[in-house]
Amino acid sequence: MDFEWSVVVDALPALFKGAQLTVLITLAGLVGGLVVGTVAGLMRAYGGALMNTIAFAYVELIRGTPIVVQVMFIYFALPTLADIRVNPMTAAITAIIVNAGAYIAEIVRGAFLSVHQGLREAGLALGLPTWKVLLYIIGPVAFRRMIPPLGNQFIVSLKDTSLFIVIGVGELTRQGQEIMAANFRAVEVWSAVAIFYLIMTGTLTLILRITEKRMRIL
Amino acid sequence: MSIVEFRKVTKRFGQLLVLDEVDLAIEEKEVVVLIGPSGSGKSTLLRCINALETINGGDLIVDRISVRESRQKVRLIRQEAGMVFQQFNLFPQMTALENVAFGPHRVRGLSRLEAREQALVMLAKVGLGDRVHHYPSELSGGQQQRVAIARALAVKPKLMLFDEPTSALDPELRHEVLRVMQALAEEGMTMIVVTHEMAFARKVGTRLIFMEGGKIAVDGQPKNLLDNPQNPRLKEFLQHVA
Repeated sequence: MDFEWSVVVDALPALFKGAQLTVLITLAGLVGGLVVGTVAGLMRAYGGALMNTIAFAYVELIRGTPIVVQVMFIYFALPTLADIRVNPMTAAITAIIVNAGAYIAEIVRGAFLSVHQGLREAGLALGLPTWKVLLYIIGPVAFRRMIPPLGNQFIVSLKDTSLFIVIGVGELTRQGQEIMAANFRAVEVWSAVAIFYLIMTGTLTLILRITEKRMRIL
Repeated sequence: MSIVEFRKVTKRFGQLLVLDEVDLAIEEKEVVVLIGPSGSGKSTLLRCINALETINGGDLIVDRISVRESRQKVRLIRQEAGMVFQQFNLFPQMTALENVAFGPHRVRGLSRLEAREQALVMLAKVGLGDRVHHYPSELSGGQQQRVAIARALAVKPKLMLFDEPTSALDPELRHEVLRVMQALAEEGMTMIVVTHEMAFARKVGTRLIFMEGGKIAVDGQPKNLLDNPQNPRLKEFLQHVA
């Protein structure tokens, strides 16, 4: 078969628009996911029995269900259940926050707990309250150890946005699908879409590499 | 008023009784050397003083504050009782200077600049004026432990606790740490030292305590006890470490 470059060129504006949405959902979702994940992870690592149980239940609930089901629940079930109506974009971003948050919680927990207990004792022995020990001493060491697994999660979340095709968000995969439906040029369209994803994940990898180089893992 | 006072202090780890109704008073400017076989409770006794271990019975008063008081009060105890650990426990993401300036800045509330000034003085004092910008991983064990001593001193504590400060060091690196500790004792610092360094106990210690089975078995003058031990268990112990 012939690879029609003109098909790709014609598709570019729409694909760019889709890629923009994909980036937007990913960025907003991951910023929120980092906040949720850090809180839940610290609750798991250092919280009392109640905090620990709440965070554990959240992580298990999210890790135990597919993200497609989660976003469908937010978009289609919540309006009936609690009269909460959201637009597709909000549903998509919320789904990434909630989903990535659960995985990031485990990354945060693991990284903090992996830091040698002696550092915590040294901080406490200076007369600092626990939260300052976590913030100034354990946190910076733990953060360096989080970079590789966080990179994994960022890439997974970016690609997970493609599943929001099911609620009609016009992100990259959805754009590809629509162009395909009009011209039936599967090879050209899906190759172009794949390359768009590769460029985005490649950029993420590069940013993480640079961060890792600038902060020695301790 | 004693700076440290144990009143029938009991400490358990689960079923295991580690400190058994210990009574002990330590006065300012004393250099107390704690010795004993492993598992005798000497490290635990030390760690109870700054509440890194919580006591199960009795009471323990440090600088007029009980370790059973609120968390806030316990932090005051810790600010007055500097601690040096066997494994140094330096903050790996910070340079030597940052490690030492950390306490004055974050605990005592000095400005960054003042804290740095103070840290430089402390590092010079432990003989590391030329290593201030090195990270812990770039320093030898002896140097790391001296930074750790400077870090504890920078908070200006009233007493210093040493938990086997030379046990993780090669023999030839021990003396540089012991020398710093001796200088500190000569300045009149109150010190409680868990160690196996009998030469240090003899030369620097003002008091020697031998622990066994969670109790203080012998308590007295280092020279007398080391030269002429009456207690048979102490005698046996000294034969093994000497």
